[in-house]
Amino acid sequence: MMKIIRPGITFGIIGGLLTFLFGGWSVAVIGCFMGLGLGLGLAGQFERKNPLELVKSALPTALIAGVILVLLSLYQSSVVQEAIGKRPTAEEIVAKGNLIGFLGAVGFSLLLVALHSLPEKQEQQWKIAVLALVVITFPFVDQASELRWTSQIIFALIFVILGLGLNIVVGYAGLLDLGYAAFFAIGAYTTGILSSPVHNIQWNFWLVIWIAAAMAAIWGLILGAPTLPLRGDYLAIVTLGFGEIVPVLFKNLIDVTIKEPLTCWILPMFGANTTCIVFTEHFDATLGEKGISPIGRPALPLIAHGEPAGAAMTIKIVIMLVAIAILGYLFWRAWSSGNRKPGVMAGFAGALAAIFIFFLPIPRTNNTIIDSVLGIIQPGEFESSRPVTWYFLIIGIILLSIFIIRRLRDSRLGRAWMAIREDELAAAQMGIDPVKTKLLAFAMGATFSGFAGAFYAAYIRGIFPSVFDFSASIIILCVVILGGIGNINGVIVGGLVLMTADRLFLPALKDFLAAFLKTTILPSISDPAVQLAVKDNANPILYRFLLFGLTLAIMMAVRPEGLIPNEQIRAELHEKEAVAEVEAPKSKKGKKG
Amino acid sequence: MLELKDVNTYYGNIHALKGISLTVNDGEIVTLIGSNGAGKSTTLRTIQGLIKPRSGSVVLDGVELQKLPAHEVATLGVAQSPEGRMIFPRMTVLENLEMGAYVRRDLSSFQNDLEHAFTLFPRLKERISQKGGTLSGGEQQMLAMARAMMAKPKILLLDEPSMGLAPILVELIFDIIKKLNQEGTTILLVEQNALMALSIAHRGYVLQTGEVVLADKAEKLLKDPMVQKTYLGVE
Ligand SMILES: Nc1ncnc2c1ncn2[C@@H]1O[C@H](COP(=O)(O)OP(=O)(O)O)[C@@H](O)[C@H]1O
Ligand SMILES: [Mg+2]
Repeated sequence: MMKIIRPGITFGIIGGLLTFLFGGWSVAVIGCFMGLGLGLGLAGQFERKNPLELVKSALPTALIAGVILVLLSLYQSSVVQEAIGKRPTAEEIVAKGNLIGFLGAVGFSLLLVALHSLPEKQEQQWKIAVLALVVITFPFVDQASELRWTSQIIFALIFVILGLGLNIVVGYAGLLDLGYAAFFAIGAYTTGILSSPVHNIQWNFWLVIWIAAAMAAIWGLILGAPTLPLRGDYLAIVTLGFGEIVPVLFKNLIDVTIKEPLTCWILPMFGANTTCIVFTEHFDATLGEKGISPIGRPALPLIAHGEPAGAAMTIKIVIMLVAIAILGYLFWRAWSSGNRKPGVMAGFAGALAAIFIFFLPIPRTNNTIIDSVLGIIQPGEFESSRPVTWYFLIIGIILLSIFIIRRLRDSRLGRAWMAIREDELAAAQMGIDPVKTKLLAFAMGATFSGFAGAFYAAYIRGIFPSVFDFSASIIILCVVILGGIGNINGVIVGGLVLMTADRLFLPALKDFLAAFLKTTILPSISDPAVQLAVKDNANPILYRFLLFGLTLAIMMAVRPEGLIPNEQIRAELHEKEAVAEVEAPKSKKGKKG
Repeated sequence: MLELKDVNTYYGNIHALKGISLTVNDGEIVTLIGSNGAGKSTTLRTIQGLIKPRSGSVVLDGVELQKLPAHEVATLGVAQSPEGRMIFPRMTVLENLEMGAYVRRDLSSFQNDLEHAFTLFPRLKERISQKGGTLSGGEQQMLAMARAMMAKPKILLLDEPSMGLAPILVELIFDIIKKLNQEGTTILLVEQNALMALSIAHRGYVLQTGEVVLADKAEKLLKDPMVQKTYLGVE
């Protein structure tokens, strides 16, 4: 019994304490997320049986979690709110927020547990449907509840992509890369240089993001090549070096001169009289510490409302037609090979609609509801004041990344990565080319940080070299390790947990502490110097790296395989236990027989 | 089919193979016997391209293997069940066997070959989703052999398949080697168990400190006084 109730208590307390930090409507949103987490965690604990029985066995846990959440949240609005010197929350918000929070916590957890009665594949599909619903509605709920989390969640999602990319290198191919942020920087700087008014080059974001990914991939190959003969610690040290060099390089690319060597140096050396061909002279590519800003932003549809016809529009239309032709070819291939499942057909229809929506402006209707939906689908230029559009863009990039990475993992190349990770020599005996396999791991891994870099540069409208230093590489590595090396779902959870903690939780904790100290402890300190010291040091953001380190150290001691582990890596970390497990049933069998 | 000519292989300045020449013809079992450190494993490693010989040539069906990296040699049809097994410990039995078939582009007969491997090694079928590293020594040996078979190689290199196995298992393994050969696989078999090896092989080579000291039909080697004294323990 205790085993089932304990997660309820843990979740309830964590959720409740979070409401202390955010107050207001937060209890409603936190309750729903708590329910999701609890449900996903609980479902696996039960055997598959009918939904009613499942709900019955999970009910106590769900109720306990919900009750603790509401009790703590009520304590927040009645006592804590006053203690930190804020105006009390409106009674209506308290009542509705707690009701929604309670229903969300109990409802979502029971729903996910009940889904466990279905066969595995169907359960999976339903789970995805529930998660999709949450992902789609989140930014709107966030807006309505005035929590304003979306703009910060977007940063967490950037790190999810980075984690997914690094996971290819570290998790699949087993190559410890301590300088992964270098590729993030390369993606971001490519975007900055190609789409900023500072350089008078303002290419379209939708083109630049692919160039950024390609640049990152190429540099993945170039920086990967010298590390090929190295293993383990030595590989880590060299990648660390590259991670340090790249930001420094960008910091110093402020006076670039490229001359054609033949006409400028070699021929004159032999006395020839040639005019020197200069490609660029004193070109300030990155603007050093100042960074590049502003940077162009994406806009949808690609052909803007009221755009005049001209060369640019012709090119866009040609690209659209090419996209449609490619889609048509794929459709023809699927159709003629007999792959006519309704799901596949719906996929093609959706893709065709997506191409039209992406390229062509849909006329507005003067119906406010329809127009506001159209405003989300085709928002024009993406603005900082509307994080929703950015949110859906990055969700789209993540879905694309997950799709590609899953295909890669299950492909020949994916199996070659795993074999190399296990034993390079044995892999070569199987006919796997270690050079090609490792280089492709670096290149594919870097591609995704290229996407992330391009998005990041456009989202914050500027890039600065200090963002991409060693600490960024380490944070990305933490995301992968915390979530579960080698597991896509794990990395996503790792990125969300670590980065929302960093971006939402710590700043909220800082405000909370500051307000709390101001009303309680600070007035009772007479010495102003001590008062100032307490005030300044009670800032958890100062300790964020300490906290990262602590989290990682605790994880390594308690659950080294991460929150959602990969099977093979769990086996590696628990080798002795696994052997014991296998031997024990064997000896039992022996006795019987 | 496979021909080594005057092969010299070094580990740093240790001269491990001193001008080895040998041939394996299509459909044969050829065995390489010799005591510890004679250079048997080094010969197999040289054939597979895991170490490069300093001079001499290794030719498989007209292709010079000594110039190629190990993974290309594997692609050309050389598979090895290595000494110490070198299976993938954290992959399941099935995944190990799939890795064995990695060199094959055409996987249409994969299921058949898998079934065939399981008829030869029924024990592996029972352990199909168990991690390689948790198998017993004998099972790991079977897995290494089955994995090499899955590549459908032109020539199968077996490095001491009977090492460390119980006598019953040794007989079983040699039976399987014979069966494989009858099905058409060419085999180069390295063994310390000279009696067993010579009793199933067509021809044999005796290796001593990196040199071939004897080469003959297997039944003749069995009667050779030097072989009897040194490797068969007959006084
Ligand atoms: N990796 C290695 N480094 C240095 N010397 C080695 C290495 N492997 C084998 N040797 C040496 O090469 C010789 C032949 O070894 P090996 O081929 O393993 O013998 P066998 O398989 O016949 O027992 C031995 O003298 C051994 O010490
Ligand atoms: Mg040996």
